[in-house]
Amino acid sequence: MNTFFLLSLILVALSVGSAASNYHENLHLQPLPPSNLLASFNFKSNTTQSSFEKQHFQYFPRALGQILQHANTRELHLRFTSGRWDSESWGSRPWNGAKEGGTGVELWAWIEAPDDETAFSKWITLTQSLSGLFCASLNFIDSTRTTQPVVSFDPAGDHSPSENLHLLHGTLPGEVVCTENLTPFLKLLPCKGKAGVASLLDGHKLFDAAWQSMSIDVRPVCSGPEECLVQVDQTVDIVLDIERSKRPRGNPIPRPIPGDKLVCDTSKSYHTRDTCYPLEQTAEQGWSITELFGRSISGSCPLTDSESSNEDAVCLHISPVREVRSSPDSVETKWTNDFTRCFSLPPSIPFDLTVPEQASAAHVPLDQPVLHAERTIVGHGQERGGMRIIFNNPSNEKSVDFIYFETLPWFLRPYIHTLQATMTGPDGIRRQVPTSEIIKETFYRPGVDRERGTQLELALSLPPASTVTLTYDFEKAILRYTEYPPDANRGFNVAPAVIKVDAPQTGRPIYLRTTSLLLPLPTPDFSMPYNVIILTSTVIALAFGSIFNLLVRRFVTADEAVALRAQTFRGRIGGKIVALRDRIRGKSSKVE
Amino acid sequence: MASPAALPPLPFNPSRVRSYVLRLPLFTRLVVLAIIVFWLLEFQTVWSVVQWGALIPDEIGLSTMYRLNTYPVIHTGFFHAFINLLALVPLLERFEAEHGTLTAIALFIGPLSTFPAGIYLLIEKFVLHSNTSVAGASVWVFLLLGSESIRTFKSNPYFSLGNYKIPTWTSPLFACAVVWMLVSNTSVLGHLSAVLIGYLLGLGYLKVFVPPEKILRWIEGKLNLLGRLPHYVSVDQKTYGRFGVLPTAGAPGGERGTPMSFMAALRNLRNNPKFLFVRLPYILSFLCVVAGVVWLFLLPLDDYSRKTYISENALLPGQVHAYFSGSEQHIFRGYKKELEGLLGDNAGDEVQEQKSEERTPVISDKIQSILKAAGLKVATQGYQYTSSGITHEGENIYAIIQAPRGDATEAIVLVAAWKTVDGELNLNGVSLALTLARYFKRWSLWSKDIIFVFPPDSKSGTQAWIDAYHDMQPPTVQPLPLKSGALQGGLVIEYPFNHRFENLHIVYDGVNGQLPNLDLFNTAVSISGGQMGIGTRLQEMWEHNGSYEKRLQTMLRGMVKQGFGYATGAHSSFMPYHIDAITLQTQGNGWQDEMALGRTVEGLCRSLNNLLEHLHQSFFFYLLMQTHRFVSIGTYLPSAMLIAGNFTIMAISIWLRTGYYENPKSSDTAAAPQDEKSEKAQLAAKDQGVVAVAQQPTEKVAERQLALPLTLVVGLHLLGLIPLYIFNNLSHDTYTLATFTSIAINAALPLLVSLLLSRTPTTTQQKAHLIKSLSLLLLGLFLSTLATLNFSLSFMIGLLCAPLSFVHRITPETSPGLRYALSLSGLFFLNLVSPPVVLLAGCAYYGVSVETVLTEAAFGWDVWGMWTQVVVWCVWWPAWVVGGAVVGTSMF
Repeated sequence: MNTFFLLSLILVALSVGSAASNYHENLHLQPLPPSNLLASFNFKSNTTQSSFEKQHFQYFPRALGQILQHANTRELHLRFTSGRWDSESWGSRPWNGAKEGGTGVELWAWIEAPDDETAFSKWITLTQSLSGLFCASLNFIDSTRTTQPVVSFDPAGDHSPSENLHLLHGTLPGEVVCTENLTPFLKLLPCKGKAGVASLLDGHKLFDAAWQSMSIDVRPVCSGPEECLVQVDQTVDIVLDIERSKRPRGNPIPRPIPGDKLVCDTSKSYHTRDTCYPLEQTAEQGWSITELFGRSISGSCPLTDSESSNEDAVCLHISPVREVRSSPDSVETKWTNDFTRCFSLPPSIPFDLTVPEQASAAHVPLDQPVLHAERTIVGHGQERGGMRIIFNNPSNEKSVDFIYFETLPWFLRPYIHTLQATMTGPDGIRRQVPTSEIIKETFYRPGVDRERGTQLELALSLPPASTVTLTYDFEKAILRYTEYPPDANRGFNVAPAVIKVDAPQTGRPIYLRTTSLLLPLPTPDFSMPYNVIILTSTVIALAFGSIFNLLVRRFVTADEAVALRAQTFRGRIGGKIVALRDRIRGKSSKVE
Repeated sequence: MASPAALPPLPFNPSRVRSYVLRLPLFTRLVVLAIIVFWLLEFQTVWSVVQWGALIPDEIGLSTMYRLNTYPVIHTGFFHAFINLLALVPLLERFEAEHGTLTAIALFIGPLSTFPAGIYLLIEKFVLHSNTSVAGASVWVFLLLGSESIRTFKSNPYFSLGNYKIPTWTSPLFACAVVWMLVSNTSVLGHLSAVLIGYLLGLGYLKVFVPPEKILRWIEGKLNLLGRLPHYVSVDQKTYGRFGVLPTAGAPGGERGTPMSFMAALRNLRNNPKFLFVRLPYILSFLCVVAGVVWLFLLPLDDYSRKTYISENALLPGQVHAYFSGSEQHIFRGYKKELEGLLGDNAGDEVQEQKSEERTPVISDKIQSILKAAGLKVATQGYQYTSSGITHEGENIYAIIQAPRGDATEAIVLVAAWKTVDGELNLNGVSLALTLARYFKRWSLWSKDIIFVFPPDSKSGTQAWIDAYHDMQPPTVQPLPLKSGALQGGLVIEYPFNHRFENLHIVYDGVNGQLPNLDLFNTAVSISGGQMGIGTRLQEMWEHNGSYEKRLQTMLRGMVKQGFGYATGAHSSFMPYHIDAITLQTQGNGWQDEMALGRTVEGLCRSLNNLLEHLHQSFFFYLLMQTHRFVSIGTYLPSAMLIAGNFTIMAISIWLRTGYYENPKSSDTAAAPQDEKSEKAQLAAKDQGVVAVAQQPTEKVAERQLALPLTLVVGLHLLGLIPLYIFNNLSHDTYTLATFTSIAINAALPLLVSLLLSRTPTTTQQKAHLIKSLSLLLLGLFLSTLATLNFSLSFMIGLLCAPLSFVHRITPETSPGLRYALSLSGLFFLNLVSPPVVLLAGCAYYGVSVETVLTEAAFGWDVWGMWTQVVVWCVWWPAWVVGGAVVGTSMF
């Protein structure tokens, strides 16, 4: 797995080397235990800084480029993620977590602006525009959801020190990622998903995956003082359940299989025709691209820059003993590390890849993650709760240094003074430790009600083979009646925490994200006042009003009414005025 | 008692309403009386008044012509009668005042009832050919509205609405339409025929039916009706009627004397403090208790309970096809044989059959390996609890199906305990859960994680698990290594026998009387009954025919469970964390197999999976009396509130009394009757008392000496902590002894307190009153608060404490022999309703040993967080001791 990403890095370096507009795409496939397949699509296009500034876009998507120029954005990272990465079975994350976000949508960008206010207004411009471009609710990233992390993110591109850059970061943990986000994503590609590996990206399969992440990174890459490129790097990573994906589209229901097709343990003494202790499959499942994605790759994208980079268009990371059949027109290249085979895509001829079923083959060794993190809300009740974060360092030799970054919505008010740490060392004994022993540095920006959320960044260091539990208490705010969303009783989403692990050996940090949380807030019963008010007002207004009116009104004839009116205060005043007017006009004598 | 002078003036003058009511003429009164009497008659079940008197087209024959006259005074329920009365009284009063009583009687008994009925019958039976029965005074209401509208039309023919002129005679038709739209079950045809007759009446076509004035005068003169009948509107008065001549002006003096004398009686009462402060509270308190109990017994009636319904539309119960069948049964059998085989191996070693049913580590490993093979994430959790010297320990196994596209924010729990709540082996349940786990894993539609929990028993296992899930566990319970999101609902499967079952028994009571959302229960009933065709039962009522008795029995069983507040199954532990959960138990010997149960569980999981929000739409406070009928809190709460209110009324009245020196002479007759039966004696002695006291309004303001009573009452409530501590911390084998010891101490403690009280300087009478007042005030306060949290417990404690309202100190003026005899008998009776004696009696009734009950209670306190004991020892017991001490002071 490690090699896989080293490879990717090499590719990145290669593409950087040639300082011209170009486009490159590839697909990496890797079976994961127990029966999953990681498919990692990568699309990379460059354009020179000068043509970017002149709005001369060739491979670079124009829609995105204009937004970036309008919002003074120098570097952009946008993530759409759903599901969760099962690191226990699947090992460390693809791209070392650098190309994924927390559940929902995550966006961060470096914006050039003279001061914070301008930067924020540019940021709002950026989110509004991207919201329209990607059909996502990015416009809901307002001041309460925006933070300015201090140490958690570093610019990935090469920026000149003279630029006054501001980092802004926002998340939408409740956003459901779906096809309406995929379609604009594909439209940014030069081949628009019609040819090349992108032709496999189909919403039905993509969003049926156990985990999927779409990312867009835009950054400037400079090889010399004046030789700068603007690079847009789009990736789609999905983990497919092979068995589920292979189900035919017309019959997706996993009905019980016929009794005679059950795989049973016949050695059991009680085994009969209608009693079966099931044997789980040991053989590696067979699959093909057509089976999994429902279609084959429709040839290479003609816009990819050169022949040389086409030979690694589709790469498979699989044990060398596994048999792999590919379409006859493609060229297979085996890499030296035995586990990787790459295939070139024939132009405009469908390409398919078949891996037949085979009795237990050796697995590709998986890298183990450097850190496990789990974050949950504990406690119960409407008023208070607690946050518990568990970090586990699986390594027996090395300690892990990392940054823990979380943004909390303003209605979750943490009590940082209750922050406590418990450590379970290699000896398995739980003990309370002073937080200063683990936390090296703290960056804390308290929230302000209805204006901004809490921002907490902790620099931690975890000794080898230890588990540390951080806990703190929080209070739940009571919202105003109109601030509740329509599904108030579902709870409120709390954005996942971001963990940045320093990895000196590779130079690039490893990112981890916890799952998002659901915070139940005290919620009024909305229906009751509504029902009561509506029903009683209707009944009172219609029934009571009319009957009461009929009962108490005294109906009199018209001439009676005039006589009655003359007796009222108003009538008398009116009469006086008429008399006065007549007198002024000199008619008084006549009237008399 | 000073009259409240600073109250703001009311927006309307109540005295005018009163005078209006007192002025109602005779026929109107009779009609009101008849309507009320018939409404009251409907409460008995022997004779259906509505069936007897309503206008049912098919029932009309020569012998049933009376229906043409009776139907207007018969109503189908309280609201029907009340609304009709409210509308009818002003109209009828006006009519009678204008036309005279005799004419009103003649018209309303005759043509004005029969004509609309006739028209209705003609149309309904011969034109529409249907048979809708009608009843109620609304026919008269619309008839009178019709005639009024014709009169209005004559003087004021049109409403102007913009440019449109609407004839005023149409207004009853509008009213008719509005009522038809707003109120369900109204007969628009009946109303229309009434309006038609009303028009005829207004137009004067019905004048022929009015008896000639001459005859009326003759009857009046002969019978002297004006002199004999109160509120009679004479033929001569009628012309005045409409705009109100003063009520008494037209009447000869003395004829209208009744309201005056009634008011005089009221005024007398007001001047009679003895009655107001001493007798009336007893009467009111007693009435409160009686009304509270009667209220409860009314609840099972159709008028007070409601049919259940699904509030949360997202649940869509039974809308999906359950696929759990076919070869899944082979796998179920395989798992079951596998587990049985492991049991059998053990049984060979063990001599006792009982022992072999424990879940051994071998079985635990097997369950874990099956779950792992199915692709679930598996973890275990060890726990240990110690209560009453008994150690409960075990290991929970649980596994999570992670929602295929989910993000661990929400989860559903499925529990299959190795032992059911009755201690039986739940082998089928566990095998079924394992099979379901393997089956559910294949589905990709789960939006929530599904957690399968396999605790070793139903009492402590789930509690340890759920506590640890929220990180609230005691140190003896291990934390959970694997977690998911917020739990949305829980299901417990119990199938403890090998034959096929007939019904599903749904258990829903939680710890401390908390209940799951009614939607969850309804979904279970709807899926198992409606989709799977499996009958459902509740509260161990195996036979339920929907009769009043069965409903009452079901409700009372539910109340007893709720009141005791113990966990009735593995699901109970979820409730304190606001997670709705129920247990599905198989019951009976029928033809449903484990796959049917599996499909029911599948359906329920699919419904819960549909939820977008936490269950919140439906009721959390309810009493179920049948699988399809319930009473909600608004209907049943007054019952417990009335009983709690009785203590408050009594406390306030005694407090007021302590502000005065009572005249010993007059209090003799009033305060002499003793013990809890005194209120009856007092009711009997009321008349003498009124006379005696009316002459003695000599009371002086007294200083209240509060220090001692306050200290005593607060001290006793704190003292309750001692038995609470002792009973929760003793070893289980000493409980019987402790109970009998506490009975002995309870007998002596009130006497000791009263002896000490009599040694203090101030007057004992006031002290006794103050102590009783404060204690009852606290009791009323606690019980009314408790009623909103645990209705049944509040109701039961309230009933058991009810005698405490009516016991008081016997004045020293009574002859000593009688005094001692009465107070000793009172104390003896009070001891019969002391907490430990009631406990013994309850145990004897249910046939369980005291030790079992108290061990369970201590376990509940230690593990489940049950606080029934707190209510018993810190609310009931102190009030009881004070009651005893108050009686005891009579002797010193």
